Amino acid sequence: MINLFWLVLFPVIVGSLATILSVKISKKLILLLHILMLAGATMNFYHVRTVGEFTQNVGGWGDYMGITLRSDLLAASMVFLTTFIFLATLLFNYKDSYSDGLFHFLFTSLEGLIIGIFLSNDLFNIFVLIEVSTVIISILIMYKRDGRSIYDGTMYLLINIVGMSFFLFGLGILYKRLGVIDLHAVKIAVENLDDPEVIILPYAFIITAVSLKSALMPLFSWLPKAHGTPSAPSSVSALLSGLYVKIGVYLFIRIQIAFAPTIDTSELFLFTGFITAVIGFVLAITQKDLKLILAYHTVSQIGLIMMGLSVGKMQTYWGSVYHILNHAIFKSTLFLTAGMIIDEYKTRNIYEIRGVLKRMPAVGYATIFAIFGITGAPLFNGSISKYLIAYGAKGSWVEYALVFINLGTIISFVKYSQIFPGNSPKSIKFKESMFKNSVVVFLGFLCLAGGLFARNVIMIVFDVGIAVDPLSYWLKVLVFAASLMISVGIYQGLLKKKKYLSLINSLELSFNGVCLSILLFFSTVLFYLKWTV
Amino acid sequence: MDLIEFINSENVSIILFFLGVYGLIARRNIVKSIISLGIMQVATILYFVSAGVDEASAPPIGDLNGILTVADPLPQALMITDIVIGIGVTAAGLTMFIHLYHRYGSTNWEKIRKKRSK
Repeated sequence: MINLFWLVLFPVIVGSLATILSVKISKKLILLLHILMLAGATMNFYHVRTVGEFTQNVGGWGDYMGITLRSDLLAASMVFLTTFIFLATLLFNYKDSYSDGLFHFLFTSLEGLIIGIFLSNDLFNIFVLIEVSTVIISILIMYKRDGRSIYDGTMYLLINIVGMSFFLFGLGILYKRLGVIDLHAVKIAVENLDDPEVIILPYAFIITAVSLKSALMPLFSWLPKAHGTPSAPSSVSALLSGLYVKIGVYLFIRIQIAFAPTIDTSELFLFTGFITAVIGFVLAITQKDLKLILAYHTVSQIGLIMMGLSVGKMQTYWGSVYHILNHAIFKSTLFLTAGMIIDEYKTRNIYEIRGVLKRMPAVGYATIFAIFGITGAPLFNGSISKYLIAYGAKGSWVEYALVFINLGTIISFVKYSQIFPGNSPKSIKFKESMFKNSVVVFLGFLCLAGGLFARNVIMIVFDVGIAVDPLSYWLKVLVFAASLMISVGIYQGLLKKKKYLSLINSLELSFNGVCLSILLFFSTVLFYLKWTV
Repeated sequence: MDLIEFINSENVSIILFFLGVYGLIARRNIVKSIISLGIMQVATILYFVSAGVDEASAPPIGDLNGILTVADPLPQALMITDIVIGIGVTAAGLTMFIHLYHRYGSTNWEKIRKKRSK
């Protein structure tokens, strides 16, 4: 067993060393740090898996008084994922010119903060960590100092601060009514509550902030700007989309569990998740910017995960959690490869990029593997998690909704994959970077491995044995093939280069509009709860 | 009498908080947006600090021998942290606003958005 606070503190300390050492030494130091972090996370995971979950009170205070760090199976696997993705992205930008001391400091501190959020059991501590990481991310978004990105970064910072103000105010009311802010203690207090009315208001405040963090409809409009901004290095986009947005989903799981005995909002979030997924892929289809397509896709997949978490069956729950891991892997692959393609072609317009497979084969095949993953092609990791979500939801409208969402996903990736065929316009030899190629190819193969060995992976990681019924799985394969054909037809027939697509695209909320939608979401949740509880 | 009872710290801070939210929704000036965030933060601090207080209780600092009721120290400790975070976040927001102003020459969200999408 390792002391959990070192997992949080160590990256921040070593990261600050990187600002005073020379770039050459600090690069090696940071690489060593990330390898050590991966080892530490593996040890922590092994301990949780063999011995069981454990809680540590930082500073030696009694239970529910000081800050507690808690490592259970979900948290440990998320920490492992964090260190893995950070190591991969660090290797990816190891040779890049922008990775200097300051970048490494921000980058590694962010790792510590994210691990802290996953491990922390204390809601105020989570608030502090999220607030600090928001500031760090808004600096990282503007890192290349491109003109447009200042607006993106400011929007990101201010909107997220508004959201976290809601979180903190809800926390204040929760503390006044229950007297605790420790997640575990909140669960116990809620179970012994006489009058459920008293926690409606704090729950509505907190869940609004969590929904903003996880970019649910109608609170997602900050996400594509932040994740698809031109000035962020592609490794930062990969981190944000693959990992950071999962913090919202993770907190959603924790908060729902803590309030579960009294407050049941699963139907509301099932519906919201569906709307989010649909809006996400509709907006993704209308984009022509490589990174923005991927960013809107994150919104869509988050909606899918939310649906899975809200159905309330064992298979859908673990399917969603597995989809969180899978999405981290294929979305970071897609963002990293998109960054390489943009660097090579010097354009972000999807209609101007041709012949990726010929010009940069390794990148092309890694992208195709990741696309197979995200669309749920048979044998790839996405198919298993989507299958599990659909299996648990058998017989309700959710099953058909999932097929519909997957159809939309496939349509937008049919559009995305038009960059592969053909001859590239110029024939200058592509400067191959071994580091970058090997990272993306490795991640691409993980998408395949996560599908082939899904049962073993789920067994090892989550300690649940979920059998995949071969008959219904092959039925899913047929559904996939049918939707692939339909979506190629729809795309070629209806959507290719049509003017009306850009009309939807011009609907963009301003800052005031986003704040209004936060208030509307809050009041909707409040009235829903008043009505149901 | 009812009005006097209504003006307690809980209601005042909730009203203040939503005043801040109103400012965020209704004002297009970026500086005013940041000020509104400050108002929301003050409301939160007021709420926390007054959460565990009896009128007869003593502040939880210094020599507490012989005092029966002491105010709950936890929210006050939390709010010291929050004040520090608030300063940092406001400073970051204002810094970004200065950059934005230098680039687009406006303090209006709408005008900046239109200039950006060109």
